[in-house]
Amino acid sequence: MLNPMFIVCTQNVGSMIRILVWLVLCMFVGWLGVAPAQDNYEIQVYASETMTPKALLVELHSNFTVEGSTTTQFGMLPTQHQEHETIELTQGINDWSEVGLYIFTAEKSGIGIQWVGNHIRPRIRVPVRWHWPVGVSLSSEFGYARPAFSNPTWSWQIMPIVDQTIGRWYWSVNGTMVWDIHVVPPPTNFSPEQKQTYYRDVAPRGVTFGPAATLTYAPSKYYNVGVEYYSYYGEWGNFVSLHNQQQQFFPVVNLFVSPKWEINFGAGWGATAGTDHLIVKCIIGRSFDWSHHRAGSSKSPQ
Amino acid sequence: MNRRTFIARAGAALAGTTLAPAFSRAQSQPDFRLDIAPLKLEIAPGKLIHTVAYNGRVPGPLIRWPEGKPIVIDVVNRSSIPEIVHWHGQNIPSEMDGAAEEGSPMIPPGGRFRYTFTPRPAGFRWYHTHAFAGHDLKRGTYTGQFGCFYIEPKGEAGAYDQEIFLTLHDWNAYLASGGDSSMDAAYDYSTINDRMLGYADPVRVLDGQRVLIHFLNASASMIHWLALAGHELTVVAMDGNPVPTPTPTPAIRLGSAERVDVVITMDHPGIWILGETREEMRKAGIGIVIEYANQHGRPRWVEPPETLWDYHRFAESQATIRQPDQVIPLRFESKFHGQGAVATWTINGKSFPRTDDIVLKEGQRYRLRMMNRSGDDHPLHLHRHSFELTSVNARAMRGINKDVVVVPANGMVEADFTANNPGATLFHCHNQTHMDFGFMSLFQYTSIAKA
Repeated sequence: MLNPMFIVCTQNVGSMIRILVWLVLCMFVGWLGVAPAQDNYEIQVYASETMTPKALLVELHSNFTVEGSTTTQFGMLPTQHQEHETIELTQGINDWSEVGLYIFTAEKSGIGIQWVGNHIRPRIRVPVRWHWPVGVSLSSEFGYARPAFSNPTWSWQIMPIVDQTIGRWYWSVNGTMVWDIHVVPPPTNFSPEQKQTYYRDVAPRGVTFGPAATLTYAPSKYYNVGVEYYSYYGEWGNFVSLHNQQQQFFPVVNLFVSPKWEINFGAGWGATAGTDHLIVKCIIGRSFDWSHHRAGSSKSPQ
Repeated sequence: MNRRTFIARAGAALAGTTLAPAFSRAQSQPDFRLDIAPLKLEIAPGKLIHTVAYNGRVPGPLIRWPEGKPIVIDVVNRSSIPEIVHWHGQNIPSEMDGAAEEGSPMIPPGGRFRYTFTPRPAGFRWYHTHAFAGHDLKRGTYTGQFGCFYIEPKGEAGAYDQEIFLTLHDWNAYLASGGDSSMDAAYDYSTINDRMLGYADPVRVLDGQRVLIHFLNASASMIHWLALAGHELTVVAMDGNPVPTPTPTPAIRLGSAERVDVVITMDHPGIWILGETREEMRKAGIGIVIEYANQHGRPRWVEPPETLWDYHRFAESQATIRQPDQVIPLRFESKFHGQGAVATWTINGKSFPRTDDIVLKEGQRYRLRMMNRSGDDHPLHLHRHSFELTSVNARAMRGINKDVVVVPANGMVEADFTANNPGATLFHCHNQTHMDFGFMSLFQYTSIAKA
C-alpha cells in the first residue's frame, strides 16, 4: 500500500505543476495587453519536412494586427487593424524538395483589399534515409512586395531549418537571413547622419538576421500546445538596438484533426518598441493528393 | 512487466527444465539443423547488411516435408542473445510452437534445442524468430531469421511446370514518423530472397510454362504489393491454404507474414521485372528479373493497373455463414506517447502482458471480431490454428482459410476458428514493433470439454 503522505505530496506536486502552467499561460495572456511595426504576412515557424511528391498543400494565413503602428512611416501604411491574408501553395517535387508560392494581400478600413506581393520559395531537405539525428532543410524565398506594405520591396531569404521530435516534445529553429535587394530610399531631405540611421534601423541594404523558433508539447495525437518566437535583429554585424529590434512571442495551438488538414492558432505579443504589440494569427491548410491513388491501393504510398 | 521481461522470465524458468530433457533426446540425427549466427549479407555490390540468419544464408534452408510425418529439427544458437524459432502456420503443440509466451523455451546463446513435431496442415508455412526486439531494430524479425517450410500434401496435383519460393524482406530498420501519429519502423533497403532488384540471378522460364510461385512477406512490418510486368497472377492459395475461387489479378498484396501462392502462365516472352508496384519500393530493392529463354535486352517494367486488394475475390461466391458458438470482440487501439515516440498498443484496452487471457473450450467454434480503431493496417496472426474469414468491413465471405489477416485501418474483420488444438495460443499483430509494445493476447483452453 502507498504511504498516504506520499499520495498527498504527489497530489501537491501535481497541483503545483498545474498552477505553474497556468501562471505561465496567464503571464503570456497578460503580456498580450502590453502595447509598434512589422510586415507580418506569413507567421510560421517551418518544419524541416517537405511535402510528399504529387501532393499540394494549400494554406491560408490570416493575421490581424490588433495593436501595431498607427502612423505612416517612410511610405509604409500603419499596421494597426490591418488584416493580412496570405495564400501559400506548396507542391512536393520529390522526397527531398518542394516549391512554395505566396500571394500576399492586406485589408484595412479605408484602403480596401490590396495586393501586396508574391514570393516563391524552393526548399530542399536532408533525406530521412541519411539518418541524421535532427531534421535539416534549406529554404530560399525570393520575391516582391509593394512599398506601401514592405520595406524592402525585393528580397531574397535564405533559411536553414533544424528540428527534432523527442517523445511528446518538438522544437524547430529557423535561421532566417534576408538579403534586402531593393529598399525604399530615405527622404531626399535627410542629412547624411539621418540616412545612415535609416539604412541601419529601417531599411538595411545588406543581409539581415531574424531567427524564429518554436517549442511544442503534444498532450494528445490530436493537438499540441507551445510557443513560437519571431525576431528581427537587423543587419549582420550591425544589429539595431534592442529597442528597435523585433521580438515576438506567440502562444500557439496546433490541431491535427486529419492527416489532410493543418490548423494553427496563436496570439503574439511584441516585446519591444519595434514590434507590433499584438497580433492574432490563424493558419488553415489542406493537402491535396494529385496522384489520385486510392488509399491502400497498389499505387498508394501507404 | 513488458514483453521483454515476460520472455526473459519465461526463458529463465524454462531453461533449466524444458531444455534439459531436450538435450537428453539427442540420441538420433535430426532431419534438419538450423544454426543461428551473425551474417554479413551482401544484398547488392558494396551493400552489406549485418544481420543474424539461419545456416549462413537468407532465407534459411527450405524445409520440404510430407504432411503427417514427424520431423526432428535441431536449433543451435550461436548468436549473442536468447533466440527461439516459431513454426508459423502449423497446428502443433504450444511447447514446440516457438513462442515463449505459450511456453516454448528460449534458446540461450550457445545453447541448442530440439524441436519435434508432426508438421500439419499441408501447404506453404514458414519459420522465423519470435524473439523480442523492442527499440533494437537489429533483432527479432528485423533480422534474416526466416525460411520457407513447405508441407507437401498427400495428394498434390502439381499442375505446374516450375515451382519457386520468393521471400520479401526489408533491411536496416530505423524509427521514423509512421502511421497513427507515432514512430514506426522504416527501412533503407529491401530484397527478394537475399538480393536487391537487379543483382540476383534471373528466374529463367520457358514460353508456355505454368510457374507456381510461393510468395512470403517476411518483413518485420511492411505491407508489399507485387506484380509481374505483362502478366496476370492467378491466386491459388493464401497462407498455404487453397482458395475456393482461384482468380487472376494484376497485382497481389502481402501483409507482414502473409503468404500468397500464384500460378503464372508464361505467355508473353521477354525479360520482365517481377517487382513492387510502387516505384520507391522497387528502387529500395523489391524485385527480381523473370527471363524467358532466348530473350535478350534490358528487363522491362510495365505499370499494372491500380489494384485494391480484396479477399472476397478469392472466396466462395455464396457466403452463407454458420453462426459460431461464441463471439470474441477484440478492439485494437494505440496509446499515444508523442509523435517522437513509439506507441503502445492495446487489445480491449490492455497491453500485453497485462491483458486478460481469452478462455477457449475445446471443440467450440469462435468468431474473432477484430475492430481496428487505429489509422494503421494490422496483420493479425493466430498461432497454432487456422481461421476462416467470415467478413471484411461487414461484407460476408467464406472459404478463405488463413493464419494472418490484414485488418484495415479503422475497419473490421471477422474470422471463425475451431478450438481444436489445446494449449496456450498466442494472438498478435505481426508488426514486430506493435507486438513488442503490447499488441498481443493469449488464448487459453479450459479443461472442460464441450458437452
